[in-house]
Amino acid sequence: MNQINLQRISLRHTYLFALAILVAAIAINYYHQPNMFEIRVLNGNLRVFLPLILLAAGQTVVIIGGGIDLSVGAMVSMVNAILVTLITSDSTTTEVILAILAGCGAGMLAGALNGFCVAYLRLQPIVTTYATSFIYAGLALYILPRPGGSVPSDLARLYRDTPLGVPFTAYVIVVLVLIWLLLRSTRYGQYLLATGSNADAAYTTGVPVNRVRLSTYVIGGLMAALAGLAITMSVGTGNPRIGDAMTLDSIVAVVLGGTRLAGGQGGVVGTVIGVLILGTIRNIISFANVPTWSQTLVDALIILVALAGPGLVRLMRGQPVFVGAIWQRLVRKESA
Amino acid sequence: MKVSLSAQHIVKHYGGVVALADGNLTVQSGEVVALLGANGSGKSTLSKIITGVVSPNDGQIYLDDVPVSFASPQAAKRAGITAVYQELSLVPDMTVAENIWLGNEPLVGGIRVNRRKLIQQTEDLLQHFAGTFQPTLEPDVMVAGLPPDERQIVEILKALSKNPRLMILDEATASLGSQQVARLFELIEQWKARDMAIVFVSHRMDEIFRIADRATVLRSGYHVGDRQIAETNERELVSLMVESQANPHSIRVQATQADAPIRLQVEQLKTKTLRGVDLRVRDGELLGIGGLQGQGQTDLLLALFGAISYHGHVTLSGEPVKLNSPRDAMKRDVAYVPGDRGSEGLLLIRSILENLHLPSWKRYGLPLDMRAAYAAGERSADNLRLVRSSLDAPVNSLSGGNAQKVVIGKWLLRDPRLLLLNDPTKGIDVSTKGEFYELLARLCAQGTAILFYSSDDEELLGLCERVLVLHDGQISAELQGDTLDRTHLVAASMGFAQEGDIESD
Amino acid sequence: MTTTTLNSVRRLFDHVSPPMVALILAVILFFAGGLINPNFVNVTQAINIVRAAAFLGIIAAGQTLVIISGGEGIDLSVGAVVTLSAILVFRISDGDNAMMVPALLVALAVGAGIGLMNGLGVMLLRIPPLVMTLAMAGVVQGTVLIVTRGQLIGDTPSLMRRFIASPLVLGVPGVVFLWILVGIGMWLLLERTNYGKQLFAVGVNRKTATLSGVNVPLVVIATYTLSGFLAAFGGFTLLGFTQTVFLNLGQPYLFPSIAAVVVGGTVLAGGKGSYWGTMSGALVLTLIDSLLRALQLQQAYQFMVLGTVLVLLLSVYGRQRTLRQ
Repeated sequence: MNQINLQRISLRHTYLFALAILVAAIAINYYHQPNMFEIRVLNGNLRVFLPLILLAAGQTVVIIGGGIDLSVGAMVSMVNAILVTLITSDSTTTEVILAILAGCGAGMLAGALNGFCVAYLRLQPIVTTYATSFIYAGLALYILPRPGGSVPSDLARLYRDTPLGVPFTAYVIVVLVLIWLLLRSTRYGQYLLATGSNADAAYTTGVPVNRVRLSTYVIGGLMAALAGLAITMSVGTGNPRIGDAMTLDSIVAVVLGGTRLAGGQGGVVGTVIGVLILGTIRNIISFANVPTWSQTLVDALIILVALAGPGLVRLMRGQPVFVGAIWQRLVRKESA
Repeated sequence: MKVSLSAQHIVKHYGGVVALADGNLTVQSGEVVALLGANGSGKSTLSKIITGVVSPNDGQIYLDDVPVSFASPQAAKRAGITAVYQELSLVPDMTVAENIWLGNEPLVGGIRVNRRKLIQQTEDLLQHFAGTFQPTLEPDVMVAGLPPDERQIVEILKALSKNPRLMILDEATASLGSQQVARLFELIEQWKARDMAIVFVSHRMDEIFRIADRATVLRSGYHVGDRQIAETNERELVSLMVESQANPHSIRVQATQADAPIRLQVEQLKTKTLRGVDLRVRDGELLGIGGLQGQGQTDLLLALFGAISYHGHVTLSGEPVKLNSPRDAMKRDVAYVPGDRGSEGLLLIRSILENLHLPSWKRYGLPLDMRAAYAAGERSADNLRLVRSSLDAPVNSLSGGNAQKVVIGKWLLRDPRLLLLNDPTKGIDVSTKGEFYELLARLCAQGTAILFYSSDDEELLGLCERVLVLHDGQISAELQGDTLDRTHLVAASMGFAQEGDIESD
Repeated sequence: MTTTTLNSVRRLFDHVSPPMVALILAVILFFAGGLINPNFVNVTQAINIVRAAAFLGIIAAGQTLVIISGGEGIDLSVGAVVTLSAILVFRISDGDNAMMVPALLVALAVGAGIGLMNGLGVMLLRIPPLVMTLAMAGVVQGTVLIVTRGQLIGDTPSLMRRFIASPLVLGVPGVVFLWILVGIGMWLLLERTNYGKQLFAVGVNRKTATLSGVNVPLVVIATYTLSGFLAAFGGFTLLGFTQTVFLNLGQPYLFPSIAAVVVGGTVLAGGKGSYWGTMSGALVLTLIDSLLRALQLQQAYQFMVLGTVLVLLLSVYGRQRTLRQ
């Protein structure tokens, strides 16, 4: 009976394992950087993490729905370019808000294009979003050929601020998680999981699978736009290539957080933990005196290990690392 | 509220394949209509069209005498029509409760799902089948972990939760145990009294005669007749279902020499569904495997082909072996013909030639001697009387019977000593079946040992001189001579091993 | 409405083999270039186009195999492997002709090793190919940084320039002949070996393949290994042309390698395709690139056009099963 309960809990809360890893990572980080819990340092870290948290949250929704979006990084660059072009250091609050709305609109449009191709034209998500990433990257370059631009100091200050002693970015993360929990608890949340778990069964049951899929990409686009906003507020300037590395990071964060790449389960809570793990590990790398030239490789290796994690666990769980075991998987379906 | 549905002259084709040429079905409140037909008759297609999963190419559906057309399953559901399929609509990563109420969840404030009510409503529904399932079937359990019979119950409850006016049960009893079937039939009587109309798609005669009021028969996509159950019998229905040609079962493979060498010996074979099977096949013997579907027959064959893991002793040609992969089995001249040729036996978009030689390209050297390959392919195709335009045509351009010939041809090119057949004649036309039986007879005469599972009782009884019946993962009976008849076969399939327990026809 | 238009376009294409379509498209584009710039259409330019396409074509050879293998197969590490391979040859040979072959062997071995790791990750650890090869690309890029520490020392052996980039016979550079050899080799591999037949089987239906005695994991792992090997070879040839290396040498070839395969008619789902198609596809893409440059379009437009072209191609060639039939 206890075993069943444990299984139920771990299936319901797929992020528990990630949480354990995060605690371990924080401990190691603390060892190298004893002042990491000071508000100033914490704020600095969260400011760097927030864009990826927002981006990966959107990616989570897309992945749970059974898809994937490789153009999110390019969308971030695109929105960053839009914002920096529309806003200058002298912009009024209204202008800023309008610009933000424009950026969000652009993100949602881009997401809608992706969603339309995947859901209605039935194009394969991986290659299609890889192709559209070039369209958005091209747009970013077109709007902002060279890095530059600036934002109103008020905006940048808001991002750095600590209202009531808590970083602004922390509020945003909490609100994000609350919105996700609300979304998850609605009928749409059920539709989302059903679509990702078994689209045919969902369709037969009357779930509007196409609309659900489209909506996940639009959400992904919106979150990418918000990530673009966050990064613009954080960095204070524009760079048409700013989002390049974020796509892979967003996928890794989702996987680290316990969500399955095939879809049908998981959540944003795990993804937030995943981003925190990634960020903490990167902190550790810089504080542990890893030589500059090796940092890219170490970072990439960590990503690789993170992705290999679920597979390694499965291998170690008793199935021999033997080609024979793979026959059985190929010949038999997994469920019961 | 009374309901009546009439589907008239429904046509459906998939590419070049005609699934339905003239489908008709009528049903009204308070009656159970059985929809009958052999494999490939179109009965599943017709039921999918009525429930909006598939759109017809022609024909009209009348609901309460009003012409309707369903653009999606949702549309059909709104009209009060639901269907219970065999595991077509359950989401593995969600719980029983979530699955049943998907799209229909009780809400709090119109937004959030009311979890407590969800579970409560599910428990109420589960009461309908109380006592027929294990205590582990609870509203909060993941569907992925449930056994097939409980998943089927969930499917039924899911359809019931929508309070349908018309329910279609499409092979819904295939995974159910007898107690569960009995309960279902009790429920159906209650539903009839409440003016529900029910369509019962099945190939199980005994159940049809227990529960149905009328029968509609389809054959090869055409509607061939309606009968009142009370005024007909099994033989008449079967004759409607099957084309009246010469019975191909008249071929009985020659008796095996008693001293022929034992090709295969199996002791205490165990897999996930097999619980200890012993058997022995001699050269030239055609050993039949029977029983209801899902009792371990596929496992048995797959294990002997090295495709799944197993425990137990297997001896081939006198040598003890451990088969870890199909390659292992192939090296010892074992071949496996799967039941689902589309997804397991063929590379649909590749050519006939490539399908024929897939296990055997190594023989043609480097670079591949294509002329030899074509020659061998033509010989094989001729031997099998394969109707084809050219060996380069993709295999999905062939009819079911011809496609199955390619699957068999693939293995015959390797001269197997032991041939494992998994329901190979399912969905094949009668004339091809006849050719197939002749082929089996030839192979046995040449000394090939054959292990032959068929879901068609008549076929088994007609061809084999010895049949092992599997029930619940074990051999429940070995039939030969006096005991090789329908009565014993059916009894053993249900798990009754003793004679005299069942009244004969 | 859009879908029916696309379907009719598709039916048009069904009667002509995709490589032929691509080839015709390439010819049309070539002459279209003449409309923009009359100096575009001449023999020298044609040779230049084919030469440029040759590099892409060689690099896309491995990608073709990986995509045919199915299972969402794709190799996003190709660009990084090209870069690493070129740098290794550059560094190890250091301009010395005698060291060219050993340097090439090292590069090929490293490329194959990277491919092997891709294959193991995809097959044994069940990491989706896209994610695995993308992550591997990061590892390779990181390795490049460590190997070079930002300093790109070395030199290209003169033999390479002579036999790869410079005109060899009738004004045609060696790489074109090399490409033709690769083309013949790929055809032999795909159509006249046991591996090739098994590869198609693995791409169409892994269950059937397994039940027909194919060692599916081995085939898949071998395919990714080959892809790395061929990408490394591509890097070697590219070095013969560029004569120098930089950190982003291979990256611009990654996306076009995928596009070339798709344009050439190889199905993304796997199980069907040919290298001739990829070769035609490489020509098409090189022409699009040249046209964009002739129009003097900035990189921004190039990106957008490339992306749009691929999406359009996918709409015609790459549609999956609809839920409702």
